[in-house]
Amino acid sequence: MREYYPLTAAQKMHHNWIIDYKTQQVSGVSVIVSLQAPLDFNVLSRCIKLEYERYGCMRIRVTKPDADGNSKQYIVKKDTREIPVRDLTYLGSLKAADDLMQKMAYETFDKDNIPLCDITLMRLPEGYNGFFIHMDHRLIDSCGLVIMVEDIIRLYTHYKFGSDFPEPLADFESVLLKDLKKASNEKRFLKDKKFWEDQLDALGEPLYSDISGPKVLEEARKKHKNKKLRSADIEMKDLHVEVKDYFLEPGPTKNLIDFCMNHNLSMTNLLLLGMRTYLSKVNNGQEDITIQNFISRRSTHDEWTSGGSRTIMFPCRTVISADTDFLDAAYEIQNVQNRIYMHSNYDPALIVDEMRKRYKTPEHTAYESCYLTYQPLPVKISSPHLKGINVHAKWFANGAATKKMYLTVSHTPDGGMNFSYHYQTAHLEEHDMELLYYYMMRILFKGIAEPDMSLGEIMEEV
Amino acid sequence: MSKEMEFKTIVAQYANVNAEDITNDMKFREDLGFTSLDFMSFLGELEDTFDVELEEENAEGVYTIGDALELLEKLS
Repeated sequence: MREYYPLTAAQKMHHNWIIDYKTQQVSGVSVIVSLQAPLDFNVLSRCIKLEYERYGCMRIRVTKPDADGNSKQYIVKKDTREIPVRDLTYLGSLKAADDLMQKMAYETFDKDNIPLCDITLMRLPEGYNGFFIHMDHRLIDSCGLVIMVEDIIRLYTHYKFGSDFPEPLADFESVLLKDLKKASNEKRFLKDKKFWEDQLDALGEPLYSDISGPKVLEEARKKHKNKKLRSADIEMKDLHVEVKDYFLEPGPTKNLIDFCMNHNLSMTNLLLLGMRTYLSKVNNGQEDITIQNFISRRSTHDEWTSGGSRTIMFPCRTVISADTDFLDAAYEIQNVQNRIYMHSNYDPALIVDEMRKRYKTPEHTAYESCYLTYQPLPVKISSPHLKGINVHAKWFANGAATKKMYLTVSHTPDGGMNFSYHYQTAHLEEHDMELLYYYMMRILFKGIAEPDMSLGEIMEEV
Repeated sequence: MSKEMEFKTIVAQYANVNAEDITNDMKFREDLGFTSLDFMSFLGELEDTFDVELEEENAEGVYTIGDALELLEKLS
């Protein structure tokens, strides 16, 4: 008999966005992985079919939402679909192929109880061959996708070149059961609930800070006829998103990494500091800043290799005065984040509910304009059998942003870092991203050069 | 299974090493590759498994397996 399971908090986050924004597009995730070499598509197709067996999350189906919008999930035993092949060589350039795949990334999985994972073998211009993955985020997050891509490549090199057969991946269903058990542990739930409510007790209602300055909050106050309103409207209709990428070279990247290593800081916390200092700067020195930070809840070996959607966002709220030293501010953020990590089993939707209850936060308003994901894992092909071959791996935005500005920071194979800004075009322009990146870098590099300089002085100087 | 072995079995799931190979002088971060998130999640798991109450402050000063075992003993 088929087992039905509730969605986890991380899955529900995406599911609720689909319901709220009335399109599955907001939950799409797509990536192309290709090599500038002829690939044996018969073997690759066999490997992808095998991956469907090994990586249970690829076989998740989601039921039709009930009257309250809740769905269940189940895992089908087999997915026997053939892996289609698409030939885009006629397009002439990789750039043109990327443009077309970007459109493929906008496609939606519109029905219930259907496969939410499509993989297509791709023949691309300029001699590249590979596979395009298009999935629903309720099945997988980007870390899970990176593991999946690596596993498919390992299977390919095993069947093609005789390398070792990859280690088994953890069983998705077992890890899911463990997660659901954890989530239903009442003692833990109450402890997590207390942590989040204590934060509100101590700091009161958060205060919105916009990337483009205080005018957004002022407009919201006018619109809602409430001079004390502390949240601002979020876009619900025009979800069109543009992406602006900035590349930080290996040299400066190493400086950031070294600073983190030497001061026992994590890169996420350093990035949060850079971002919050910018928000403070453009909002007249506002000290109470909240940024939504995504956490990939993968710690054990099984959590790493079971796939699934484990990334979840929590508000990183800090109240830091301008006379705080850069390094002290970084440690303050780190302390906040460490506490959040300990309580990250909690469903963040409950934090929002609690704030709505306490502060009567108007519907479709939020306290945050910025969202951050730091991805320590790049998509890489490390097999010695494929060494020296050019790789074209690219993530494609789903084209429908639920967030005003979503920054993904990832490492590049050459030792640099990529800052990918996804921004809603309804309210932001490329120039806003230029300013944000420019000042974030100025703040970070000023801060790591003079860590005892106060945030106020840094904001002044940059 | 002894409490120490049960503890090390949990550590092993995080560090992907055999529980038998974990020694008390091993450092969570440097030797076992724990990140802050791993460590805090691990503390949560200790709470659930050993039915103890751990506060964030308890984590300060815990660097090695031995430190953590000592703390666990104190809280039990």
